[in-house]
Amino acid sequence: MTSAAAKGSAVCMRAYSARPDSARDTLPGRTKVTVHALKKMHSDGKPIAMMTAYDYPTAVACERAGVDMVLVGDSLAMVALGHQDTSQVTMDEMMHHSRAVARGTRSAFLVSDLPFGAYHADIGDSVRNAVRMVKEGRAEAVKLEGGRHFVSRVDAIVNSGIPVVGHIGLTPQTAVSLGGFRVQGKSVAAAQHLVDDALALQTAGCFAMVLEAMPSLVAETITRLVSVPTIGIGAGSRTSGQVLVMSDMMGIFDRFTPKFCRRFAELAPQMDAALVQYKTDVRARRFPEEGLHTYAMPAAAEDRWREHVLSAYGLDLDRVAEPTAQVHQQQHQRSSV
Amino acid sequence: MAAAAKGSAVCVRAYSARPDSARDTLPGRAKVTVHALKKMHSDGKPIAMMTAYDYPTAVACERAGVDMVLVGDSLAMVALGHQDTSQVTMDEMMHHSRAVARGTRSAFLVSDLPFGAYHADIGDSVRNAVRMVKEGRAEAVKLEGGRHFVSRVDAIVNSGIPVVGHIGLTPQTAVSLGGFRVQGKSVAAAQHLVDDALALQTAGCFAMVLEAMPSLVAETITRLVSVPTIGIGAGSRTSGQVLVLSDMMGIFDRFTPKFCRRFAELAPQMDAALVQYKTDVKARRFPEEGLHTYAMPAAAEDRWREHVLSAYGLDLDRAAEPTAQVHQQQQQRSSV
Repeated sequence: MTSAAAKGSAVCMRAYSARPDSARDTLPGRTKVTVHALKKMHSDGKPIAMMTAYDYPTAVACERAGVDMVLVGDSLAMVALGHQDTSQVTMDEMMHHSRAVARGTRSAFLVSDLPFGAYHADIGDSVRNAVRMVKEGRAEAVKLEGGRHFVSRVDAIVNSGIPVVGHIGLTPQTAVSLGGFRVQGKSVAAAQHLVDDALALQTAGCFAMVLEAMPSLVAETITRLVSVPTIGIGAGSRTSGQVLVMSDMMGIFDRFTPKFCRRFAELAPQMDAALVQYKTDVRARRFPEEGLHTYAMPAAAEDRWREHVLSAYGLDLDRVAEPTAQVHQQQHQRSSV
Repeated sequence: MAAAAKGSAVCVRAYSARPDSARDTLPGRAKVTVHALKKMHSDGKPIAMMTAYDYPTAVACERAGVDMVLVGDSLAMVALGHQDTSQVTMDEMMHHSRAVARGTRSAFLVSDLPFGAYHADIGDSVRNAVRMVKEGRAEAVKLEGGRHFVSRVDAIVNSGIPVVGHIGLTPQTAVSLGGFRVQGKSVAAAQHLVDDALALQTAGCFAMVLEAMPSLVAETITRLVSVPTIGIGAGSRTSGQVLVLSDMMGIFDRFTPKFCRRFAELAPQMDAALVQYKTDVKARRFPEEGLHTYAMPAAAEDRWREHVLSAYGLDLDRAAEPTAQVHQQQQQRSSV
């Protein structure tokens, strides 16, 4: 503690509960997950666990649990920012969240989504934005949606030295063109297109790819035909790994859980109960509790303060405050009605 | 839907967040306005304020019916992982304020002006307050500081934007205070806080936050001013309370400030959920086939298996090789 404390005057500290040290709460002995570690997990047949995070506390939670890969997904546009879809979030916003996640990430491998529009117009845009996501967003790799029509972009980004995670199947950024959030690859022709997409992305240099919302058999086919890890969401268990949106699996939203997701926690009812309890205790003046949650002047200073306030303002602190007295009177009247 | 009517089952997947969540307000809850807050104050009814920093936290506040929601620059630490609140920018605060506004319906929304946004001159202060309303969608702004900031408060109020003051421990300038230290512990220091409060009231603050001071000093201020006081670490004899949501929810396991109470313990549950997810993924227990998965129509599936066999020489009826190798290795290890 500080010398001020040693000198006898009690230093009362208050601080927020978040400490940068939290970022160092990694599993003891956990080594950094690299592209090589992921490759090895894949060849060993060991499923890869990827989870989304969108800010510092969700990143710290992922780090504490030891997930292999953390994804700053543009799903945050909906689950963190409250937009109707993922098409509105900008590069600046994605980088902002990516930085916050990076501050909480130590050993997990960090991938960040390039948002809708960031890699569409031309190759130059794609590379510039991938570079920004690494430089400013502090990502280790970027993810972008699309199949064979995007191989030139993937190729250019990979050649600039940035690892790329592909994403095929249901591609939320362009869900409108798919007719909504619909499962893909349900016919032989559609499934063949997905296989073509996967092989093309592999050739272009993706070191992994997300398979979203397709029949398990199609995802398995792709997984067995490509030589890079596949990370599935709504794609069955026979992929090289899984990813989920954290807000879905934590039950943060009470109303609706996607079919392919399982709730591993039920946080919404607890957040509700906590806030209702807080409000109730504030109304009843039960929180904060004097002596437990409060501070006091040294006794001598307190006596002098009471005298000073009485003489300077005519305010007698020994008497209960008027408004509270009126409330008590009203309460007596109501209960006797 | 026409496609569904034609017989091919449309499988839909979506995220769990729906914009409708923002409409989950308590039935019949009227919009909290400055007049409603004034009435609560004169009725002696404590005001419940809570911080939020994104859409889900805002929706939670709305569901619980808190009176005031604060987009506090505490988010710099609890949401963004900075070491203090001095680094967060206007753009970042407005970004989070917008997200909170999307989840806020009836609560009264106040957003912090960050460090630097109201310091250089009056023009800056008004411009940034306007931006926080226009772009950040706040209803009022909060800024830290006492009598040295009355000209800024006055200018913002005169431009038509309500201002919440903030005195006592002012985190943006904690360095100059020697750290996150309780204020007003001596008679002279307490007098300064009273002077600050009265000056802010004169300048037009419709409410003010009192942070980290002896309960007696906060009570003195509360009884001397005619506007509501919202306390944090200031005792129960203020006009209302505010806490940082991440603190009271136990989102960070390591440390809870003295003045805070944990109303939930979320960190252990988030940890358990993520560990369970990871364990189930590693064991291929999640996702569960048939429950969490999709399938092709049976006829298409048969044709697909045939097609894949002839086009790629891949026999989908046989288990994948890597998994077989893993099983073999597992058997070898268990027999050692």
